[in-house]
Amino acid sequence: MIEFKKLKKIYAPNEVVLNDIDLEIKKGEFVSLVGLSGAGKSTLLKMLTKEEKPTAGQVLIDGVNLEDIAGKAIPYFRRTIGTVYQDFKLLSVKTAYENVAFAMEVSDATEEEIAKDVPQILAIVGLGDKLESFPDQLSGGEKQRLAIARALIHRPKLLLADEPTGNLDLVNSYDVLKLLVKINALGTTVILATHDNQIVNAVGRRVITMDKGKIVKDQTENGKYMI
Amino acid sequence: MFQTLKTVIKRGWVNFKRNSYLSAAATGVMALALVLFLGLLSLQYLTTEIVISLENKVDISAYFKTDAPEDQIANIKAELSSRPDVVSVNYISREQALADFKTRHAEEALIQESLAQLEENPLEASLNIKTKDSSQYATIAQFLEDSKFRSSIDKVSFYENKNVIDRIGRLSGSIKTWGLTATLFLALIAVLVTFNTVRLTIYNQKQEIEIMRLVGASNWHIRGPYLAEGGFYGVFAALIAMVIFYPVVWLVSDKISGFVEAVDLLAYFGGGAPQIVLLTVSFGVLLGVVSSSIAIRKHLQI
Repeated sequence: MIEFKKLKKIYAPNEVVLNDIDLEIKKGEFVSLVGLSGAGKSTLLKMLTKEEKPTAGQVLIDGVNLEDIAGKAIPYFRRTIGTVYQDFKLLSVKTAYENVAFAMEVSDATEEEIAKDVPQILAIVGLGDKLESFPDQLSGGEKQRLAIARALIHRPKLLLADEPTGNLDLVNSYDVLKLLVKINALGTTVILATHDNQIVNAVGRRVITMDKGKIVKDQTENGKYMI
Repeated sequence: MFQTLKTVIKRGWVNFKRNSYLSAAATGVMALALVLFLGLLSLQYLTTEIVISLENKVDISAYFKTDAPEDQIANIKAELSSRPDVVSVNYISREQALADFKTRHAEEALIQESLAQLEENPLEASLNIKTKDSSQYATIAQFLEDSKFRSSIDKVSFYENKNVIDRIGRLSGSIKTWGLTATLFLALIAVLVTFNTVRLTIYNQKQEIEIMRLVGASNWHIRGPYLAEGGFYGVFAALIAMVIFYPVVWLVSDKISGFVEAVDLLAYFGGGAPQIVLLTVSFGVLLGVVSSSIAIRKHLQI
């Protein structure tokens, strides 16, 4: 489903962030991407949402080279990918309901569809009683679950989670992890970038280790956190 | 389409309410800009009226010798009237001049008595000429000099008033030029200050815009509500500006009328109130929407 071919990213003047990445991720996989800060995990994920452009090499999703997606088509492309971040990236002036609804509005969903889907997805992530709360009124775990709800509203085939548990305590971290595993079980490919060893070991699926912009280890099954 | 517009305006309104501090600041600055704008409108009106009233005071008169034949005067009048630079030519006969003189000095017994003792009317017939522009009086004076009936003309008042006419001409010219320059300059400052405030307001929300882009919002989905919000700044700023401006006009109108008689601010702005309100609201909305649209452009590059 996802292919990185000879991918290279160099920030001016000559800071190499990604160095000759060759990687293939199959549909329905749960991949943990581990490595120290600065290893290139986030940059690799940003390549998939076209927030960053490769200096050389290619990124393909379902056979489509992302380079061929023009500026105006980027918003449409992004709606096919769910993203979850360490800092949640929620709209602070919108309620939980409106945060999720916004993601639907931008894809021109009707008001009826929004009114039907949003409470449903919020109930799935356990925020059924927080529809009218603003992000500031939610705990860290609740904020991340809200972010996941927003990422799922388009039923994406790919979910990218960049340090989703970085700001959470252990209990909330496991809640979020359970949710990601459940989403994966329903068929969505999940890529989880983290440096939380307990989380990675708890999942025990494919683990890819990065260091200084390179892939240094790829355990395809029952992977453990190793740097 | 209508549904989308409704949603966009609704979202803009919700943002306007929720960002209450920022909205209040932006609206306040814009209201000040609009008050300045209205002030400049008043200034323009005031200077125009002052110039008109000064120019109206200026004219030239040709006085005819007491024995000048009436048909010659009529001839000159016809020639003057046909000139494109002449606005009006008023003939005052000797009898009329005397009657006017008598009314003007009706209270003064000595003058009345002296007049009664005279056997003949001492006053001369005259043509009172007004031109479009005070600078054209010299040409008219020259025209009268060159007239074939020059011998019937006793004197032309231009030469006595030349200095005053020139000075008023220069004065009204510079009032017009400087008034307009100052207006444009201040209006530019008002627009820049407003634009900068809106820019800061949007800059403050650049993270939100970033997030909207990440969840796949197209540029119009992001821009629309901000433009609507800018429009709301404009509407409220215009209303605040009205609330400040009209009471001030009401207070100062009398004082200004005492200074320049022809100027009646209250009548001018009161009579044209619907147009002024419409103009200010439109200007405010335009200013808000345009400022927002320029300010947000920078954040929409993917």
